[in-house]
This record gives sequence, C-alpha cells and structure tokens, in this order.
Amino acid sequence: MFAKENDMQPPTTHPDVPAGLAPELAQEVSTVLSRRSLLATVGLAAAGGALATVFFKDEVHAATVAKGATAPEHAWCMVIDLRTCDGCEMCTRSCQQRHGLREEQTWIKVYSMEDSSGGTFAMPRPCMMCEDPPCLKVCPVGATLHTDEGLVLVDQDTCIGSRACMAACPYEARYFNWSEPLPPKGIPMPSTPEMPKQAQGTVGKCVLCADRLPYGELPACVAGCPMGVLYIGDLVTDIAVNGPGKTVVLSEFLRDNDAVRYKEELGTNPRVWYILGHGQTLGQQV
Amino acid sequence: MSTDTLNSDVTDTDSITEATTTHAREAALRPFGKPSRGWWLAVSVLTSVVLLGIIAWVVQLRDGMAVAGYNDQAFWSIYIADVVTFIGVSYGGAVVSAILRLTGATWRAPLTRLAEGTAVVTVLVGAALIIPHIGRPHLLWELVTQPNLAAPVFWDFIAVSTYTAASLVFFALPLIPDMAVLRKQYGQQLGRRRARLFAAVSRGWVGAPRQRRVLAGALGVVSIMIIPLAVSVHSVLAWAFATTSRPWWHESIWAPQFVVAALYSGVALVILVVAGFRRGYHLESLITERHFVRLGFILATFSATYIYLTFADLLPGAYVGEVGTADVFARLLVGDLAVWFWLFAVAGGLLPLLLVALPWTRNLPGMVVASVLVVTMMWLKRMLMVNAAGNYDRMTGAFGDYHFTWVSVSVTLAATAAVPLLLMLLFRVVPLLSIDEIEEIQEIEAANARPATTAAAHTELIGPATSDALPAGATGKGHRVPRVAGVLTLVALLCSFGAGAATPASATTSQGGKSTNTTAITITGVESGGLMELTATLTGRDGDPLADATVAFLFSTTQFGTPARLVPLGSVTTDGAGVARLTLGGDADHLYQPTTKGPQKFIATYAASSAHLVTSSTTVNVTVAQSAYEPPPPNPLAGMGEGLIAALFVIVLAVWLTLAAQVWRVRRVCRVVL
Repeated sequence: MFAKENDMQPPTTHPDVPAGLAPELAQEVSTVLSRRSLLATVGLAAAGGALATVFFKDEVHAATVAKGATAPEHAWCMVIDLRTCDGCEMCTRSCQQRHGLREEQTWIKVYSMEDSSGGTFAMPRPCMMCEDPPCLKVCPVGATLHTDEGLVLVDQDTCIGSRACMAACPYEARYFNWSEPLPPKGIPMPSTPEMPKQAQGTVGKCVLCADRLPYGELPACVAGCPMGVLYIGDLVTDIAVNGPGKTVVLSEFLRDNDAVRYKEELGTNPRVWYILGHGQTLGQQV
Repeated sequence: MSTDTLNSDVTDTDSITEATTTHAREAALRPFGKPSRGWWLAVSVLTSVVLLGIIAWVVQLRDGMAVAGYNDQAFWSIYIADVVTFIGVSYGGAVVSAILRLTGATWRAPLTRLAEGTAVVTVLVGAALIIPHIGRPHLLWELVTQPNLAAPVFWDFIAVSTYTAASLVFFALPLIPDMAVLRKQYGQQLGRRRARLFAAVSRGWVGAPRQRRVLAGALGVVSIMIIPLAVSVHSVLAWAFATTSRPWWHESIWAPQFVVAALYSGVALVILVVAGFRRGYHLESLITERHFVRLGFILATFSATYIYLTFADLLPGAYVGEVGTADVFARLLVGDLAVWFWLFAVAGGLLPLLLVALPWTRNLPGMVVASVLVVTMMWLKRMLMVNAAGNYDRMTGAFGDYHFTWVSVSVTLAATAAVPLLLMLLFRVVPLLSIDEIEEIQEIEAANARPATTAAAHTELIGPATSDALPAGATGKGHRVPRVAGVLTLVALLCSFGAGAATPASATTSQGGKSTNTTAITITGVESGGLMELTATLTGRDGDPLADATVAFLFSTTQFGTPARLVPLGSVTTDGAGVARLTLGGDADHLYQPTTKGPQKFIATYAASSAHLVTSSTTVNVTVAQSAYEPPPPNPLAGMGEGLIAALFVIVLAVWLTLAAQVWRVRRVCRVVL
C-alpha cells in the first residue's frame, strides 16, 4: 500500500512542460470510505485478532492521510455535445495511439445509437468517472482507485485480473488485456495509474488522460476531435473547453443545453454529461 | 490379509455384530491392498487428463486468456461456471453427513466417509479453479495483504477458506477412532507409513466413554456449523454476480437458488462417488440399493425445489419485459441458447425427478443415470447463467459470444478428472468407511433388538450433541455486501458567503483603448461582500459615453493551457453613462462566480465594428472564492455496509475459534491418561 501511494504521486517533471510549472494536482488516493471507517469498529471487535491488525495497518495510515485532506482543487468531468458528433472515431484513434491500445480496446468508443424516428446518431462513450463507481466497490484488492479529483483509475501493478469491475460497470467501459499488450511507445516510465502501461492479465480503462490535466493539456480524445464534440471540464472552476478552442461556463452550458447523464437511474452519479440533439434520445437501457 | 486372520482378533460382543463389524473393518481396508490393474489404469488415465489441463493452463499463462476463448463481451465464462459447479457439489458431503447425522438417520453410516471426502476434494478443486479464472494468479496473495472489504469476491475468499477448514475438520475428527481401532487390530499390516500416520492421528485414543462423549459433542458442533457455512459459501458466490447491476444476475433469488443448486448437484455427486467405490471395492453388502434409493429421494426433493426456484427466477423478469432482462431471457428461452436451456430443464430437472418417481427406475442404475444427468446439466445451467447475462452488452443490447477452446476444455476436464483421482489416492491413505460410526450404529441397533441394559451407556452418542451449545454468532450466514463504499470524500466549501470579505479587494486596471480618438473601454472589478462586480465604461470616438452598446465580459484562465482561454461570462448593454455592470453569480443568466483565490484576470470587450474590437482587462485579487462543485448526497446505506463488514468479521472469527476449539477439545481428551 505504501508503495502504491508513492506511485500515485504526480511526476515532478513532465516531458512536454518546463520544470518550473509544478502541477497543483495533489493526487491523494481517496480510499474507499467503508474500508476506512470500518477500522474503528473492527479494531474493537478484532482487538485480539492478530490477523486483523495485519489487515488494517495500511488502512489506518490511509485514514489519517484522508482526514487531513481539504476540498479538491479540481473535479474533472466531460461534456459530450451529440449535436455535432459525426461518428468519425477520431477520438477513439487518438486515444488508442496515445495509450498503445489494440483496435478492440476502445477506451472511448463511438456507439451508433438509434433515435426515436428510426435514424441513428453517434454517441461517444468514455469512462463516466462515476462519483459512486460500481467498479470501485467490487474490486477484491482495491486496484481501482478514486482520486480526490474524481478520477477512477486502475493501478496496473495491483490488478489481479478478476474482472469483477467489468461485470459491475453499467457502461461497458472496461477492457481486459486478453493477450500481450502492444509494445509501448512514447509512454514514460514507470507506469502510473494516470498513464498506465498495460500488462497482460489486467483491466484497463479510460483515464481521462489524468497525466495531462495538471499541465493544462487536453485529453487525447478532446484534442483529437475535429468537430469539437468533446469538452473537458472542471466542476470546481466551472469551466469546460473543447479541442477547437471553445470555452464555456460549465454550469450554464449544461443548463442551457438541457444536458443529461446516461443511466442516471443506476445511482452511479456519472461525471459525463450528454447534450442531445434534435430528435435524439438516450435510451434507458440497463 | 485373509479373513481368518481378521476374525481371530475379534473379542467380546455377540456373534452377529461380530461378523458385520469385522466385515466393515475389512472392507475399509480394501483400498490399502495391492492396487488392481483397473486401479492403475484409472489412475494413469485420470493423471494424464490432469497433466493435459496443467499444460493448457501454462499455455494460457504465457499467451493470455484469449487462448481460453475469452473476450471483452465474454469476460466471465467457463472457469467461473466451473468454480461454482465444483464448490457447489461439495455441499453433498455436508448434506449426507451433517444433516443426516443431526436428524439421526442411521443408514448414513457407510456413506459418511465417502461423502465427507468428496466434500473436501471438490471444494479444494473448486477453489483451485479460481487460479485459471483470474488474469494474474501470482498476485492472489493481495487478497490477504490489501483486501477491499466491500468486495463480494473478497468475501468469497473468506467464505470458501472457512468452509474448507470446516470440511477438513469434519473429515478429520471421525478418523481418530477409526485409525485407532485399525492400528490396534492390524498394526504393521497397514504398511509402515500408514501405521505411523494412524498412530499420529489417533494418539491417545482408547475409546473411553469420556473420549467418545467429547468426540460426539465436537462432531455435533461441527455438523451444525457446516450447514450455515455451506449456505454462506454458495450465497456469497451468487452475490459476486448479484451485486452487479447486470440484467438477470442482479436478482435477489440468486443466493438461495445457488444454495439449492449446490445441494442438488452435491447429492448427485455423492451418489456417483458411492456407486463408483461400491463397485470398485465390492462394498455391496454394506452399501445396498436401499441407500441409493434413499439418496434418490433427497435428490428428488432438491430437484423439485430447483425447478420451482428456476421458474420463480425467470417469471417476473419475463413478465415485466424490462429492457435488458427481457433481452437476456429471450435469448435464453427462445433464442440461440434455448436448445441448451430446455435441455437442462428436461434432462437436469424433469428426468431425474421422473427416474426417482417411477418405481421401475427407482434402483441403482436409475439413480446413477439421474445423478450423471444432474451433475452435467447443473454445470450447463451455470454456464447459461454466467454467459447469457455476461455476454449482454449493456450499451448496445447486443450479445457477445464465448468460444470454447482446447485450453478451457482441457482445464475443465482436468478439474473433473482430479476429483476421482484425488479420492482414489485419498482412500489409499485413510479408511474408506467410517468404521466407528458403523459399529456404533450396529451396536445400538443390536441393543435395541434385545432388551439389554448394557447399551444404555452408548445411546447418548447418537443424534446431535445437544449439550454442546453453539457459541453465539457461530452460524455464519449472509455475507451480504450492500451498496457501500465508492463514496467520495466530502468536500468542505472553501468559504462561506460574505465572511471576512467586507473590505473591497484591491484592483488594478489597464486600459485597452489607448487613443482617446477611438472607441475606448475600461473595466474595473470590485469584490465586495463576497460578490464580484465588473464594471465596464465605454466611450465613443469623441470621448462621450456610448449607450446601448453590448459589452461582453470574459474571464481569462490558463487551467487548460496557454495561451489563456477566455471564458464568456455574459453580455450587458451599457446605460446612458456608457456603463455596463455585471455581478458574477448575480442572476440566473450569469452563474459564474470566482472559483479560485488570488489575482484573476477579467476582460471586457466591445465590437466597435465587425473588424474593430476594443478590449480592456483588469486583474482582481479574489479573496472569496467558492467551488462550483457540489458533491452528490452521501449514500444513506453506507453506514450499514460498514456495520455489516464488522459483524461479518466477528462471525468469521467466532467460526474459526469454534472450529479450533473442537479440534483442541478432542486432542485434549486424548492426552489425558484414562
């Protein structure tokens, strides 16, 4: 656990950015709440059990770290304006190129959906970065992390490949490395949850290019979208921007365009908003 | 060893009991003799199959799980179905041994050892199948070093290991009197290593009444415990599926259905194992057709229950027709999986029931056929349950496919072969029959047959040891993990409105339009009372105020890189004095408020003409900033989850301590010189 937290520290230098611009991002792993506050109760119950003390030593540490944490400086989110999406899949390709993924590993996938008049529209689906991620709860070894800034990431060094998260994700946003991953190119070493190097037998998913965000760079899909469909946003600073350069006040943009979240009824509180077009629907598929 | 030698050792008791007792002892030793050619043939074939499976697993380890037929639309498939099947059949041992012991069914005696052995072997094989199921088995130890206590899979691990320990204790305790009596009677005839093992296990056992009482008590406690433990194992396995929001998996009936499925297939496997060993070691005189018919009745009970549960599982979803569940059920009942589902329904549900119900098939071959059907069809049912819903793409509503490959089939066959192989090897070491139990029951039956007073001392040994009360909380049921965790650290608001912000913040202004001859604009920003007010003054070509002009306010941010991005804050029309005022967050059309403290740059622009834009910027030191982010309300059930996890740990601890206590008390009573 200690080793994992060290891995979570943002890189002190970034290949594309001068060393003077230190990232403000403090990536403290927000441990699962249940694990943390369980300690008090279990500590009592299993005071005698040496087993329990071994189990929770790390959690005690994590709990003390998390308690001192202040409000997050960022709350990353995404807005997807379906009105302008033509389904060119440039987002998918930009992402795959940056993360060294196979063709079937579509961390952002463009689905062809049917609208109510029988036509189709394109709908990109990244990781929804849920505030209550179902994948987080079911991971038996805590390899899925939820950062203070709301990013759901996978620690490739910890993942045992149980694929419980794939079963839990209602958005099918997780992809397993069923065979040897493509040789990494241009991926800085060592692998971090923000910029993971894929390993055979682990689960990978969209990371919203978490390594770029502290440096003011756009995620690969946002930068790669020629239509300006994808917006990266920050719920704290209330700003969202897209690739071509449009900048909006996030809350107003969502309100004025009647943005919705997909599968709201599942209670996952996704952090991706969709702006529907004319005659377009988002089915309530479960 | 000849029958003559065996008979000569027999001492008191009457002649009828004497003969059957000797027979049971002799029969229990049959697997210890020189193995037959058939035994060697069976062992070598089974070993080859196991080896092939291990090779296949190594190939999978090297090349990745794709070689086992998996893909992102079939992420859970054959291996998890195997795990459920093998751990499921281990419940048979608990039924035949524990339930029949607690209900005082004396006919169980010749079956218990085989049933308990089957339980131990199958649970070990089932647990081992988790290894090919996961992507990186070399990291499995993380389940102990850094578990996520909210994860059902973690509780699977706890439940399976606890149940395995209980099964081992339940298997091992009755060995003590058997090994003592065999060692005493046959000594070195058992073989040097066996004699040493038997001596070690049965050290101190003389069969004294106090020892018998303690052992019966310990077995009673473990019998009671193993039933809820088995319920917990199969329930938590079901909850690994049911705690996802996937259609069909997300059903409350899954846990009880898994438990009944385990009972059903477990009894069937016990029938098969007993039939196999009965034939192989000629135990016909001890295990009669009557035994199989009785087991068949138990099988029929579970068959009917399982058919009912399957119907109850499918009806509501099919009736409502909700998207997702209806798609999965359509595929299962009338779609491409329908052939397999109805094959299961007929061959795995109705046929076994019929074979037991019809008098002319209610015999040994009939029960064996029924059991073969049940064991194979229950595996098929698990495959359907895993794949039909697991393949469903919850974005598109389409179905993926799992493809069988030689790797996954070999691993599954290897696991199947490992069960008889391990049983055959196990019973080369431990006695095949529970001699003590058989003799005890024979004695009691003999005593009941004649009005003897001597038997009174032993009657307390049958039935459950009611004097040994179960410690509170030891019945480990229900490792339900509800929606817990995943809750964000709550965000404290950066500042409250107006607090400590009475004084206006300093502001510096730079003028955009330098020349007084052209249209000019100036912007000032004042923060007061927690609100930021931007004021732009617009002057025309002649220096007069420009009225009815639209001024756009912008905020400059470098959050998304340089050059700075301009965030439009809204437009305001100038009044008669050429002044436009914008209060940030002041009305519903202008929601933006400063979100970060420190010097922030604001800009006012006016399009004097389509080609000419006048701008002015000011930097305001923001002292009152408020995060625009509002976290979702906390899950009201999160606290319940924490309490549940704590309670489960207490229960698990109690179970392990109780198990250890039973072993300890039996060991202790054996140490005392009586």
